[in-house]
Amino acid sequence: MNQALLVAKNLGRRKLRTTLMLVAIFIAFFLYGALECFNRAFHAGESAAAADRLVTVNRINFTMPLPVNYAGRLRQVDGVKDVTFQSWFGGYFQDQRQPLLMFAVDPQNYLAVYPSIRMAPEQRRAWIANRAAIAVGATTAAKYHWKAGDRVPISSNIYVRKDGARAWEFDIAAVFSDPDDTARENIVLMNHDYFDESVTFGRDQVNMIIFSTVSSKRNDEIAKAVDALFANSEAETTTDTAAAFNRAFIRQVGDIALIITLVIATAFAAILMIVGNTLVMSVRERTREIGVLKTLGFSGSTILAQILAESLLLALVGAVLGLAAASGAAVALGKLLSGFGSTMHMTTGVFLGGIGWAVLLGLVTGAIPAWSGMRLQIATALGRR
Amino acid sequence: MADDPFSFQLRQVSKRFVKGKETITIFDGLDLDIPAGDFVAIMGPSGSGKTTLLNLLGGIDHVTSGQIVFDGRRVDALTENQLSAWRAANVGFIFQFYNLMPVLTAAQNVELPLLLTKLGRRDRRKNVATALELVGLSDRAGHYPREMSGGQQQRVAIARAIVSDPQVLLCDEPTGDLDRTTADEVLGILQLLNGKHGKTIVVVTHDPEVTRYTKRTLHLNKGVFVERTALA
Amino acid sequence: MMLGQVVAIASMNIRSIPQRLWMSLSTVVAVGLVVAVLLAFLAMGNGFRQAQTSAGATDIAIMVRDGAQSEINSAVTRDQADLVAEAPGIARQDGHALVSAELYVIVDGVSRSTGLRANLPLRGLPLAGVALRHNVRIAEGRLFQAGTNEIVVGRSVTREFAGFELGKTLRLGQSVWTIVGIFEDGGTVRESELWGDVGVVQSVFKRANFFQTIRARLESPAALPALKAYVDADPRLKLVVETEAQYFAEQAKQSSDLIQKLGWPLAIIMAIGALAGALNTMYSSVASRGTEIATLRAIGFGRVPTFAGTLAEALALAVVGGIVGIVAATLLFQGYTASTLSANFTQVVFTFKVTPALCVSALLLALVVGVIGGVFPAIRAARQPIAGMLGDQ
Repeated sequence: MNQALLVAKNLGRRKLRTTLMLVAIFIAFFLYGALECFNRAFHAGESAAAADRLVTVNRINFTMPLPVNYAGRLRQVDGVKDVTFQSWFGGYFQDQRQPLLMFAVDPQNYLAVYPSIRMAPEQRRAWIANRAAIAVGATTAAKYHWKAGDRVPISSNIYVRKDGARAWEFDIAAVFSDPDDTARENIVLMNHDYFDESVTFGRDQVNMIIFSTVSSKRNDEIAKAVDALFANSEAETTTDTAAAFNRAFIRQVGDIALIITLVIATAFAAILMIVGNTLVMSVRERTREIGVLKTLGFSGSTILAQILAESLLLALVGAVLGLAAASGAAVALGKLLSGFGSTMHMTTGVFLGGIGWAVLLGLVTGAIPAWSGMRLQIATALGRR
Repeated sequence: MADDPFSFQLRQVSKRFVKGKETITIFDGLDLDIPAGDFVAIMGPSGSGKTTLLNLLGGIDHVTSGQIVFDGRRVDALTENQLSAWRAANVGFIFQFYNLMPVLTAAQNVELPLLLTKLGRRDRRKNVATALELVGLSDRAGHYPREMSGGQQQRVAIARAIVSDPQVLLCDEPTGDLDRTTADEVLGILQLLNGKHGKTIVVVTHDPEVTRYTKRTLHLNKGVFVERTALA
Repeated sequence: MMLGQVVAIASMNIRSIPQRLWMSLSTVVAVGLVVAVLLAFLAMGNGFRQAQTSAGATDIAIMVRDGAQSEINSAVTRDQADLVAEAPGIARQDGHALVSAELYVIVDGVSRSTGLRANLPLRGLPLAGVALRHNVRIAEGRLFQAGTNEIVVGRSVTREFAGFELGKTLRLGQSVWTIVGIFEDGGTVRESELWGDVGVVQSVFKRANFFQTIRARLESPAALPALKAYVDADPRLKLVVETEAQYFAEQAKQSSDLIQKLGWPLAIIMAIGALAGALNTMYSSVASRGTEIATLRAIGFGRVPTFAGTLAEALALAVVGGIVGIVAATLLFQGYTASTLSANFTQVVFTFKVTPALCVSALLLALVVGVIGGVFPAIRAARQPIAGMLGDQ
């Protein structure tokens, strides 16, 4: 028998009530965990972009094309390292409503600008050598059960083939992963030359030029130089870091981060009231016992600590259970929402954040009952029925 | 006596219950007759089973074995719904701590049992007024329990207990929380209800002064009647 | 008589709520929050859907390239437009078919709320095309003149994006354009667009003879099949033919479906938490009123009214919480303007729309919480033994 046991026994006093409080806390932390994981995955594109990578698009809008020869001219700018380009293909496999994240690129340079992509050497060679070949990210490959060596038909929402056929037949030369930016494992890459020679319009044009710089400290200066190069040309450009570009794009969907924060805040507000009130009530029921403990010699601050320990224990147990469930839900949700893939999982950051909130919750809900327990006069306590 | 109407007849009543690993016996094979119009005090030390006996009479507790017959009907054999209806019609309860509803006024508290009858609002109001007048609290009709003294609250409780004119009043320590003067007032009202209105009243009590008002006293000790004092 | 008992006990239960004020309040607040969150999501989805569907007319046909899911992906040539002008089912005025071949390009605007760049649609259309939008009216200024660098902007654009006031000039593409008018269309998705003369847009954006959609006024909504048959029969016209109403309905469905799919599960999960709170409150209510309940039973009130009384208390708390949530959500969100990415990749401005039907759905959720949160404690109250509960606790 020790004080810790006393705390635990007090919680077990009314099992139903404690269970209900745990359920409420569990729900709040489950929501926190799942929504925060979603939040991070959604904004992953912002942070995963390497600091030294910049993106050049048409100044009117990134859906407008740039001439492909811009890539070569851009390479001449001082401070530019590797340059690649991409065009949105608008591809889909079998179901028109499930678009693929598919781009036409120049393979060799693309791999140079994204050095974190992991591709087996022989697959890499195969992709570069075969014009009609595509490289598929691991997540998409898993989704459609594709593997290297398969031949798949992919159609486009935008482009039509010169020969009138609807679908392009592609050989899957490579399946790649990208540990630094797992969102990239959703994309499919085709050869831009193959694209150019098979479409009826949109030839020799690209949506976006992506390049790396020699030093991220010079990003600003290099970006300005690139845009100056193309000022007053047929297509003016605007250049920005890849991170900034992603951020602006994601923001167009809406202030998702704000919505998530508001929802989590309301959940916490609700359980704060529920748990807080229940604890106050539960301590009030124990008034006489607290009086007896004090006559035995337990000090007011000991009582305070006991009650706080109770609320902390409650909050932490509920939080850990909720976060664990959220972890499972995050993975399941990731599978459901295509485009997120393996970025949806519980991170240490979210978990530790949740524990932190749990401690705060425990302290806040326990504060009032602990304080009143500490200040209780023995005579009043024993006299109260 | 066995032929008198509205009497309670207890035959071989046993009451046992299990607590943890033990079986505790309150009564074993108890017999008791309460004739109509009786005013009986049941006294005895704590744990003797007096309150349990009262609860059994009122149908709010159930016998383990044996029979309780009221007016020729076996109370112990009634279902819960039947018991509720039976209680509403025949029994009035009075408790040590009054058990008034704090959210209702005195008049509303007294009106409660009448909601179980088919009486209309006007009739109900009339009966409430009569009951309150009988206990001498007509001027307190609109007050809440927290605005009244203990004695006044207990009188309201008596009014509530008699408002639907039951034949039986079962009282559990009715004077336990009152000072001497107030207790005597309450006991006086009970005596009036018995003498003038013919109600059968059973009072469980520690208070020896009660015996000055009752017709007879039963002493209960560990589930057995040890002494019977006849009417003085 | 039973009803009288129920009403009596229920009103006693409800009137005793102030004795357990803070616990009861916590349930009201929890239910209120759940209802408010649900209503916010529903209003968002509703507003977004309405901005799109209310734009669609049943007597205007819209044609995009077969396979294109939206205007932005479509490609239509002048030849195809000319062929369509000959089709049956299209209304004619002074011998001219009421047809509009339109181009849709995306330009950048700076969002007022985020300060970041966002996609806006610039629609090139002939003057005849403006007439095909029934509810459009020029609220300020005037319509653009054909062949000039003049544009009109929708009211939503001026609200959500900076720099689009009347008289302002902007640089889009290689040219400078002047905003000569602001148009309104009842808050539909059309108000999120910029309109200019199609020929000028084509030349500035180097899309000569290139269109993306063909709109045509039908003789009547029933004329659609005739037009469709004509288009299907001609192999040069690989077009999908729909009424505007159908087209917008499909576009709207996808995104508002998504919002619904997010809103309801979220609200239900939160409701489980609120339910835990409600059960807690009700169980403690039953416990604190133990003597009261026993006394009523001793008087003769039956089990069913006791059950109903506790259930009524739970429902009362839930309903109050639901109403509080509805009022809060309406005050906070009703009419709130937001914008998000549409299927066309451009910003669609919409307002949150709370409707009575949505409020009813939200209130139903509150009632479910009330019922489940009340049933079990109510059963306990009814089953409570009377003996032993009559003394003071």
